[in-house]
Amino acid sequence: MANGTWKIARRGNAQLPLVIVLALAVALVLLGRSQAGLFDRARTAIIDGMQPALVVVHAPIAQFDRWVGSINELFTVYRENLALKDENARLKQWRNVAVVMQDRVKRYQSLLHAVPDPDMHSVLSQVIGRANRPFLQTMILDAGSANSVKPGEAVVDARGMIGRIYLTGQHTSWVILLTDLNSRIPVVVAPGNHPAMMVGDNTAMPTLDTMSQVVTLHAGDQVVSSGDGGLLPPGLPIGTVVGQAGQYRVALLADAASSQDVEILAFRRPPEDLPADAQSQLPAVAAGLKPAAPPPPASAALVAPDTVAAKPTLKAAKPVKPATTPTTTPATTPATTPATPQASPPDTGDIPADQTIQDR
Amino acid sequence: MEITDRMGSLMGWRFFSALVPVLCGFLAVMVSNLPLSLTNGLVPAPLLGLIPIYFWCLVRPDLMTPAAVFGIGLLQDIMAGGPPGIWTLSFVVTYAVIERQREAFAGLSGLGAVVGFATAALIASACAYATVALYYWHLPPIAPIVAELVVTVLFYIPGVYVTGVIHRRLVGPLRSDF
Repeated sequence: MANGTWKIARRGNAQLPLVIVLALAVALVLLGRSQAGLFDRARTAIIDGMQPALVVVHAPIAQFDRWVGSINELFTVYRENLALKDENARLKQWRNVAVVMQDRVKRYQSLLHAVPDPDMHSVLSQVIGRANRPFLQTMILDAGSANSVKPGEAVVDARGMIGRIYLTGQHTSWVILLTDLNSRIPVVVAPGNHPAMMVGDNTAMPTLDTMSQVVTLHAGDQVVSSGDGGLLPPGLPIGTVVGQAGQYRVALLADAASSQDVEILAFRRPPEDLPADAQSQLPAVAAGLKPAAPPPPASAALVAPDTVAAKPTLKAAKPVKPATTPTTTPATTPATTPATPQASPPDTGDIPADQTIQDR
Repeated sequence: MEITDRMGSLMGWRFFSALVPVLCGFLAVMVSNLPLSLTNGLVPAPLLGLIPIYFWCLVRPDLMTPAAVFGIGLLQDIMAGGPPGIWTLSFVVTYAVIERQREAFAGLSGLGAVVGFATAALIASACAYATVALYYWHLPPIAPIVAELVVTVLFYIPGVYVTGVIHRRLVGPLRSDF
């Protein structure tokens, strides 16, 4: 009886911390959604600390993997050897064709004064760890921010793209594989250059979402990176199209499970600066009218509409009518002023060009 | 003086033995989440952290508190990658279920004990799956989580043996009365 009473009392006491901890766990999920960086920093700090041990431990395990793999290959070595000889002969022919084509492309580029391909630096790195979790497929490389590796950069092996960097520590970096649930890569499918999005779903072959409903792809079509977004270089070989269960999938060229040495491509297309507005190009000026005043910056207007947005207006209006011009006219009328310039003549003219640029 | 020393030593020992379950949980999480695979990524890593939680929740729930489970889950989240907080929530939910049905689970033995743990692992996996589905707002493939569940249950048999030895040697042979 006493025991039963004690149990009830204990359970009553235990409910409170359990409920609190449960609430904390839910809060943690919500916090993780908004502040994933907190977890990432802790993760990279731990793996950075473990990096020397991982390098040491990984070597015998990789050797063991090769040993186990080689046992399996013993049974297929003769057949594979014949297939490889055949493939090698065909590849040699294609190599000659590729060399000739490369030469021809260079000549055409020089004739057309084409913009040369952007320079690409790369960091050679070794795989020191792999994690195959239900909701994350990743590998860990022994190069980090100390080697100028940045998140978003493509990781390739000799055959094709494996994934991209999503987290960098000081001496290690994590690769999100193309097969991972979170992987989304803009690609094009050749022939036809059909744009598509390759989406990982933790299976060996990511799915392919075509942008257009009417596009029909064929098995064996080549999938390469499109370069959209400017993070990945265009034209990186990724895989070939496979039709499976009513949807398109990509059979990847690279094998992330067996890659040991990979290359991290540092491709950054510098954002192009927009050309400065030339007064003579504005339609109002071309029509012989005064140009409209530029709108104030949206962010500045949001932060402090009264103080920031009013500043250029007051300065601009000074030479004409300082006392009577309201503060809102330049922000609201620029689109209409070219058509009806006489409607607000004091607000549209006499703004120095440097002030216009600065306000933007 | 000698009695005081002995008392101090006893208190230190008891304090250490009280920490053993939590430390075992942390160690299990670290081991299972080492980014190394003997099977070339073919077989997923088991949820080893769940074994100490299940074991001590039944045997000594006073040493495996909800806060300790929260800490073990948090480490699992940090080490495993993936959406943050998923395993913390899953472990705490599983703990809550085991704690409520403690007598039923603790009465199981032999194959029944394995089934009992499989139930706990199923709860954890289902909770993680559901949370991830809500997190990404689409259903992730079910095969990887099922594979992890199977591997975790298979690892329970050697895992519970090691945990039992640690319990007998370090924590104490007596089952908690409350």
